[in-house]
Amino acid sequence: MSLLSVENLRAGYGAIDVLHGISIDVRKGEIVSLIGANGAGKTSTLMCISRVNRLRGGRIAFNGTDITPLPAHQVVKLGLAHVPEGRRIFPRLTVRENLEMGAFLRNDRDGIAKDMEDVFTLFPVLKERLAQLGGTLSGGEQQMLAIGRALMSRPTMLMMDEPSMGIAPLLVARIFDAVRELRSRGMTILLVEQNARAALKFSDRGYVLETGNVVLSDTGAALLASPRVREAYLGE
Amino acid sequence: MSSEAPNPTGDRALAPEAGAWRGTPRPWLADLILLAIAMLVPIVDVASGGLGLIAPAKSIFIFAIVALGLNVVTGFTGLLHLGIAAFMAIGVYAFAILTNESYPFRLSFWPALFLTLPIGAIAGFVLGSPTLGLRGDYLAIVTLGFGEIVQDVLRNVETVTQGTQGINPVAKPFVPWFVAAEDGTRTFAWTRISVAGDLAWYILLLLILIGVVVFVRNLERSRIGRAWMSVREDELASKAMGIPPVRTKMSAFATGAALAAFAGGLWASTLDSTGEPANYDFQVSILALCIVIVGGMGSVTGVLVGAVVMVGANDIVLDRLTQFIQQQKLVSDANVLGSPNNWKYMLFGLALVFMMRFKPDGLVSRKGSGSRTGGRA
Repeated sequence: MSLLSVENLRAGYGAIDVLHGISIDVRKGEIVSLIGANGAGKTSTLMCISRVNRLRGGRIAFNGTDITPLPAHQVVKLGLAHVPEGRRIFPRLTVRENLEMGAFLRNDRDGIAKDMEDVFTLFPVLKERLAQLGGTLSGGEQQMLAIGRALMSRPTMLMMDEPSMGIAPLLVARIFDAVRELRSRGMTILLVEQNARAALKFSDRGYVLETGNVVLSDTGAALLASPRVREAYLGE
Repeated sequence: MSSEAPNPTGDRALAPEAGAWRGTPRPWLADLILLAIAMLVPIVDVASGGLGLIAPAKSIFIFAIVALGLNVVTGFTGLLHLGIAAFMAIGVYAFAILTNESYPFRLSFWPALFLTLPIGAIAGFVLGSPTLGLRGDYLAIVTLGFGEIVQDVLRNVETVTQGTQGINPVAKPFVPWFVAAEDGTRTFAWTRISVAGDLAWYILLLLILIGVVVFVRNLERSRIGRAWMSVREDELASKAMGIPPVRTKMSAFATGAALAAFAGGLWASTLDSTGEPANYDFQVSILALCIVIVGGMGSVTGVLVGAVVMVGANDIVLDRLTQFIQQQKLVSDANVLGSPNNWKYMLFGLALVFMMRFKPDGLVSRKGSGSRTGGRA
């Protein structure tokens, strides 16, 4: 059974329709990638799933619950966390405060403390910088903070939007390592990436988006081998 | 985007020793220094035979409370609010109506004072519920309009508010204080503080202000305080963290309104009257905003410093200067510019311009000083 099922999702901004009926399935424990060019609708899809953006049609179910009518904060409560594009950490709150914001909907002090330790095992650098303002971290560290913050809600599924954007190659590798590490801990992940090759390499499955439609979906390895993907997205 | 790193290449140029530490190690220290000064002022004043610092301090304390309320809305939550005086006026009139004898309630000081809190919060809720979906500038315009409307209503609903005459007398606090007996001796007993009892008011208002500061500091570090700041920092990201933005803004708005109304209740009692509705006009809202901006948006200590600087300049420095010029007959009384009291809005304006240009974080910024990444539009 799929953990997240998106059926015929439609959305837009103003007079423009951006998503023309996207259907996606993510099963428990999978890493699934959405790839596609700029403006294909990858970010909009995630924003609709986390219910930050409004839908114009379609149905989203998470863990057996229809979340289409729910406001964003209830979706987080159900265990679906979103690491938004561009990190969007709180620049004038400290690293600790940023992480605590991630646990906003929780009340279990001990559990929160334990999960913060878990985040530090994933990203030790955050522990060194606990008292620093989020805005003073480097881009890569901010991305780690954004992922850590999302993990603090103790989600069963994580949606990550362009975690490699604008980050030094060495840190990109570090972040992709963390994504794999999270999967081995049992996390289900929906990943949006422009770095299609890297994303598909460790993805179980992938969807290719073009101008608001799913044009291709297959296993990660099959997509990597597909001539259409190689030509359009891998620059070959 | 507001969260762009100063150094996106990901190296270690911003190590902690490079000054990246922004935590204030002891936020209470600055408060304690302010408290020590506040306790020294009456001692120095009485010992030196009366410098006249105690009477103006009443308005410093009360405006500090108004500005602490505004700071919850504008400083913590990042909503520009240009009508905080309206909530102060609501507190003033609520207190007067609850305590004046021509109305049916006839409460005493403390119950009426504490009722101004829920009354202010409800008023904030009523204004906030239809408007907090608005963004930035639009909310500022709505609050500005609300400030004018409240004044007009208070002026025109004469059967309730007595129009421009105002309502008086109102309740005064019953406290242990020195009572002069007929034979000239003074005993310590329960008594009512009169309008003239400056020192007693000073002590009472200082104690109340301490209570408000402790309350606001705890709010700042509470769950809801974090939610306010996250909405200020990034509304979209806070949504993704599970924070409902409209409800969060609403709670900030109601809290700010409650504190402003509470300060209004105190104001009415120190004056023993509501004064006329025009006393709570746009200029009062701007004074509160100046206090918050000059002091340091979002910083509780900053607001206290801002209140001392702005209200002190207004009620002590400019007043003294005006008196001095008049006594020395330096300029004729007919010369409007000869009275520094008439310059105050120019000085407020200059203070804002200079703060924005040279110290946009205020005199006391929330986390140390230095440049910040990101900012508010």
